[in-house]
Order: sequence, then C-alpha cells, then structure tokens
Amino acid sequence: MKILSALLLAVLPLAPGPGLDPSELIHPTVDSWPTYNGDYSGRRFSTLTKINDQNVKSLSLAWMYQLASGGDPSGGRISATPLVVNGIMYFTVPDKVWAVDARSGRELWNYTWTSKGGIHLGNRGVGISGTSLYFETPDCNLVSLNLADGKKRWNQPICDLDQMYYASVAPVVVKNHIITGVSGDDLDRPGYLEARDPDTGNLQWHWSVVPKPGEPGSETWPNADAMAHGGGMTWLSSTYDPDLNMLYVGTGNPQPVIAAKGRMGANLFTESIVALNADTGKMAWYFQPSPHDTHDWDAIQTPVLFDGEIEGQPRKLVAQASRNGWFFVLDRQTGKNYVSSQFVKTNWAKGVDAKGVPIPNPAKEPQIAGALLSPNQGGAANWMPPTFSPATGLFYINATRAFSIYYIFDDSNKPEGWGGNDQGGWSESMLEALDYRTGKVKWSHHWETPGIRGGLLSTAGNLVFAGDPNSNLVALNATSGDILWHANLGSSVTNGAITYELDGRQYLVVGAGDKLFAFVMNQ
Amino acid sequence: MRRISVLLLASLSPAFSLAQAPAPLPDAPNRETVQRICSACHPAQIVLGRGMTREQWGGIVSNMISRGAKGSDEEFAQVVDYLATNLPPAKPGSAQPAATTKAPPRPKNLIDQAGSNDKQVVDEDAAARGKTIYIAQCITCHGTRARGGDRGADLVRSLVVLHDRYGSEIGPYLAKGHPQPHPVSLTQEQIVDLSHFLHQQVGDTLRTGPYNSVLNILVGDPREGKAFFDGPGRCSQCHSTTGDLAHIASKYDPPVLQLKVVFPQTAAFGRKRGASNSRQPVTVTVTTPSGETVSGVLDQIDDFNVSLHDASGQYHSFARGPGVKVEKHDPYAGHVALLDQYTDKDMHDVVAYLETFK
Repeated sequence: MKILSALLLAVLPLAPGPGLDPSELIHPTVDSWPTYNGDYSGRRFSTLTKINDQNVKSLSLAWMYQLASGGDPSGGRISATPLVVNGIMYFTVPDKVWAVDARSGRELWNYTWTSKGGIHLGNRGVGISGTSLYFETPDCNLVSLNLADGKKRWNQPICDLDQMYYASVAPVVVKNHIITGVSGDDLDRPGYLEARDPDTGNLQWHWSVVPKPGEPGSETWPNADAMAHGGGMTWLSSTYDPDLNMLYVGTGNPQPVIAAKGRMGANLFTESIVALNADTGKMAWYFQPSPHDTHDWDAIQTPVLFDGEIEGQPRKLVAQASRNGWFFVLDRQTGKNYVSSQFVKTNWAKGVDAKGVPIPNPAKEPQIAGALLSPNQGGAANWMPPTFSPATGLFYINATRAFSIYYIFDDSNKPEGWGGNDQGGWSESMLEALDYRTGKVKWSHHWETPGIRGGLLSTAGNLVFAGDPNSNLVALNATSGDILWHANLGSSVTNGAITYELDGRQYLVVGAGDKLFAFVMNQ
Repeated sequence: MRRISVLLLASLSPAFSLAQAPAPLPDAPNRETVQRICSACHPAQIVLGRGMTREQWGGIVSNMISRGAKGSDEEFAQVVDYLATNLPPAKPGSAQPAATTKAPPRPKNLIDQAGSNDKQVVDEDAAARGKTIYIAQCITCHGTRARGGDRGADLVRSLVVLHDRYGSEIGPYLAKGHPQPHPVSLTQEQIVDLSHFLHQQVGDTLRTGPYNSVLNILVGDPREGKAFFDGPGRCSQCHSTTGDLAHIASKYDPPVLQLKVVFPQTAAFGRKRGASNSRQPVTVTVTTPSGETVSGVLDQIDDFNVSLHDASGQYHSFARGPGVKVEKHDPYAGHVALLDQYTDKDMHDVVAYLETFK
C-alpha cells in the first residue's frame, strides 16, 4: 500500500496524496522521520535494531543523491535534517526543497524560491502537517508547499529583511501551530519565536526573547533601548512535551555581540533555555546558561527531553550541552537545575551560583589588548544535533575544546553590531558520552584532527552514528565508544543522520556536502 | 548563532548573498585552491565583499586552520596570497563604477550581503556631501556616528533609515516637520545625499565595517615579559631573542605577533609577502605489523588511515589497525600546553617584551 502511495505521488502529482496528522507526531512510527529531530523530544534516538552493534560492519550503500547544483559549491551544503513521511523524503538547502523516494533516492519534485536577499548560509529543513510542508527562506518568508507536487500554497513574511534578519529554522508542527524562529546577528535586533496558522501562515502568537520595560527580565537590562536591540535569535527548532504542552527553545546571544558596554546586566532572556506554553507562547520558566554573554555563545543547542532518575527520584528532564562548554540538566516542569558541569574544560566562569548558573569572570570578557578564552567563538558545541539514548542513559555530543583571543574593536560608549571579535586559535575535537545524572564523561573518543563535526544519531541497536572532522561517517558502540564501522563520504557530514524502516529494511541516511547517502544492510 | 554555519559565523562573516546566481570568485592565480579548501566547510564566495589587508586575511585563514581547515602550508599561503591580492582593503573611490551614478559605489561589504537585494548602494561622494549636511543639521542631537544620544534617536538602528531607499522614507519623515519646533528644510538632492551618509553609517556598523580592527594591544610590561620568557613560560628553552626571534618585531605587527606567540601552529602569516610560511610540520612515524618503520611529515590522519611524505618526498599511506603503530610528534605541543597556563597578563607581557626586538 505504501509503495502504491508513492507511485501515486510520482505518477499523479496533483492527487492530494497521503499526509501526516499532527497528532501522529506524538508517537511517530518507525517508517518515518516526521519532524526535525525525528520526534518531539530532540533525543534523535531510534528504537530500530535491524542495524546493530553486531552487524553494522556489513552496512552498505543503498543509494546516493547529489544535488543538481551545477558544481556551485555555495548551492549545495545539506545542513537540513531530511523528513520522511509515507516513504517520501523532504529536505532543503536555502531557497530549495526536494522530495525524493526514501527507498531509492529518485527525485520526485523540487522547488525553487526566488529570493529577495538575506544570508544564504544554511537551512535546517521542513516541517510537515497534513498534506503540506513548511520551510523558511533567507529572505524572511515562511513558505508552504503541497507535499504531493511541491506547488506553492502560500508564503508569509516572518521577519524584516531591512533589519537584517534572515530565516533558516526547520519549522516544528505542534497541533495546529507552525513554530518558526528567526536568525541574524548583524544589526542589534530582538529575537522572537512565533506560532503560525497551518492553513494561512497568519500569526497565532509571538514571544519576544527580550522583555519590554517593566516586564519580568527587564531588570537585567540598563534601559529600554538596549532591550529593544538586545538580540536572542531563535536559530534552531524547539522541542516539545505533549503532556506538559510546553515548548523548549534555546535562545541566542545578546546584541551587540562582543562589545557589551551598552547592555550591562544578565540580558534575559537571551542565552537561555526557555519553556513556553505551546498554545499561548507564555513563558513558564527559564534557565540562563550564559548570563551577559560577550562571546557569541548562543544557548540554542537542542534542549533534549527525556525521563530519568535524579537522586533516586523519577524526573522529567531537559538537558543541553551548551556552546559555552557547560552541560545542564534541568527539571522540565519547573526549570530546577540538577546538573551543571563542564563537558570540556573552559576558562570563563568563576563557578556556578545557587541556581546552577555559571558565573562569568569579568576579566574574561573581550579586551582591547585581547583575552585568551576557551571555548572560542565556534564554541564547545554548536548547532549540530546531539543525541540521547534511553538505552544507555548517555547524552552524546560532538564536542570541541578550543582557544582563541577575543578583542574589543569598538571602545566607544555605544558600540553596536559586533564591536569586536575573536582571532587566532587552536582546537581539538572529541565525541563524548555524558552521564546525565552527574555530567561526568563516561567515555570520550578523541578525533585525530580538529574541525567541523556533524550531528549525531543513537539507536536501540547500541549504536551512535557521528561525523568525524574528516569525511567519515562513523558508527560507534554506544556503550563503550568503540568504533565499529565507517565510510568515507568524500566530504564532511553536514547534518545529523536519520534512520527509518521501509519494507522491513532499516535505512540510515546522512548528508555530506551536496550529497545524501542512504545505507542498508545487505540481504 | 551563526552558526556553520556556525563555523563561518565565527570569524568570517556569515553573509553572502546567493540570489539566483552567486558571483564567482575573481579569476586569478590560486582561485582553485581557495575554492577547494574553503568550500570544504562553507561557500568560498563568503569572502566576496570583504576587503582586508594581507595581515587581516592571514588572521582569518589562521583562524580557519585552527578550526580544522585542511590543506598544506603552501596551499594556505596561496589562499592568503589570493585573498590579499584580490580582496584588498576598500579605498574610497576605487571601486567599480556604478551603473546609475557617476560616482563609484562603496565596495561591497556586509551591508550589501545581509539584508535585501535591493538595498541602497552607497555612493561615497554623495555620502561625503551628506556628511556635511548631517554635521550642519543633525549631529547635535544624533551624535558623531549617528548613534543617537539623550537628545536624538539612534539613526543607525532607525527603522525609517533601514527601510529607506535613496531618501524614500527619510524625505517624507522630514517633510512632516523634524525637528520641532524648527524643522530642517532640505532639497530633494540633499535628502538623497543625507540618505547615502546614513546608510554608510549603517554599513560601517556591521562586522565588515572599517572599525573592525584590533586597537592598541601593547599594554604589557616588557620586563615581566622577559621574566616569563626566561622563567615559567619556558620560552627560552626553544627560542632566543638573538637567534630565531631576532628582529621579530620588525616582521610582525603587534596583533599578529600576539597570535604568533599564542597560536604559532596556525598563525603563520607575517607582514611580508612570501614570508608567510614558517610553520613546522607535524611529523609521524608509522610502524607496520611486519616491523617496517616509515617517518615523515604528516599528510592526513583519521581513525582509519594515515599518510605522510618521507624525507625524499615520497608519499606513503597506511590503513590503521591492529599492529600498526602511529606516533605523532607535534612541534608545538609546548605551546598547546601553555594555553592552560597563560594569564592574559603573561600573554600581553611577552608580546610587549618581544616587541622590543625591532
């Protein structure tokens, strides 16, 4: 029946075709990867076991799909996580969407948006609801297409290009809400998160990362002007707890980015993990990994949701391995902090306060003569997805330990934009497995060279799939960290791998540069 | 967050405008090297619109090496050469002539890349005229850099300005009577000139603007720098200010010298063309299960393969596995160890000390 559906999609592109009821996202089926993180939790953990630690050494290529980018390197870096629904895979690069057969890699349609500008750095993918998909464009539009044929339904502006916002987030579908975020670090603008109507794109609610004067959090800013230009972009897809009806979003760095003379204070709710009511956008709680950040260490890394045990008590948890080098475990109902630990050694904090929040050392703010910082601006973690395996109880992160020198370039009383930057550097990279109960590193695999690192996937087959800093997709034993399999893809892994099962075969799909690679077990 | 996206974001501006057909890199020697090495992590076109000195480009490339850019020293030197030659600092009036104005436009920078494709192209001459209008009419309330103050709004962040194209918003705003009680009266031509000046200020505020360079870093104490050099820094165990570091201050400006001291393995680009390549390579010795030993300069290494060039230049490649022993030697291991030891004062002191060796 599924094969038939796929055939219908291909042969009769105007037929409505099968869709995806948003309620199915709560319990996604193993034949799909229906949302950015595979499910709402952000764990990127699959229960599939056909590929496992015993047989992964025989994993082999099923198909490869190369973007028709005409050799243009700027058009073809897949940092989107593909979605798979009803046997069809949907993915993006900035301004472009593809639908390909998830069994064969055969292209069914592609769509190109005519851009009016914005930064074309990367696009994280689509969201799907019903018979439609949704994606953001660099020129600040939310665009909806028909799943069946890629024809545009509508587009709605979600940010202002003149203010140098752009848009890159993979929208998340929650009930009848399309959750969107905004990007841009150029000109001191406030970040926000919005919910939009799936049928029209109209605004349902708007949550501003920075408060207005008099609102909670405003006491952490010097004045209304600093708040109104305070940054806090929402660069990545939210996670969601259906039982609590709460969205979990990480917010970006405050602005101006480096030179912070004009924004003394903690600068809430930038650099925060925030819980919002999914129907109203009202904030339930926040936790701020980097108060008064001056290093571009936005705390947007996926807030990963799982249930666990803390001091013998069952808890609903949320964890983040943050760009600033710290790992946090919180109660996702209340925001109470259970664990704050460094997953790589850092040199910017004097310790943590009573609430588990790192206390920045003012001497390690950027200096005119330079301050030696670790991590560097790229951070100990970045947007690349981590994974949590409930089978091992371990949180996996492709981590970087790095140093650089941070300078103030603009020493005026009112710096704007960046007003400084970091220079130089040294770094090393490693894949770490963290015990969520303590934050301690259970095992660490040190990569031979530093550099770009891909996202992660864990499975019930006792596997973790990772991109290394070279061009290898690597499968490791999730319990021990032993390397079990690898394939050199010719360029670095540029997204997080996904997995799904169709016709009894488990597929593993990963993006590397302008190609998607699908692997299966030989039968 | 800028993310690789993030990597990019970091020290190289994330901004490049793809539109439908991205501009190619200028056709010049070493373009292929730049294309290949840079695009491993990000679109090589990201460099377009940047204009920087050789040292600044060297700093960017050093930073990229530290983040894992893959290439040989020779290739990185080629990348710096290419960037310094083809993307030099902007000189007002030296850019390509605009199609619609007789004066040349401002060189392409981040403001031309972030934001809308139809954003205003700043005419430098008009901006200069606009500046005189600004000084006469606006500066008292809006400040020397148009960033506002107690008496006037911040015009760099103004939505009127950001939405403006060649006076389209500024003109009608002023026509409503601003400021009160004595509104300015400007001709349409003056409004356009003022608009160019204000858009120029917006552009200058961005990461690629002219203010984004290191200020004075010589704040250290040379005597204490010498004490660190000879003492806890253990610098004198390998270096001599009359030997390898003689006249070091004449080779590098202070900001580059500081990077050289702290990150010598990546900060390899000096003041002079050709004097860029002084990095010592990582070497490696591979012992095979049969007991054969091959040593040389490390080419590439991951968990699965290792390759090197031996003393004769011969290339060798080995699959790693049981019985294959790989020993790496990083000549900069001592510098890496110092990263956890330095205080910022140590760093500034050593630079101040070395800066005395002209």
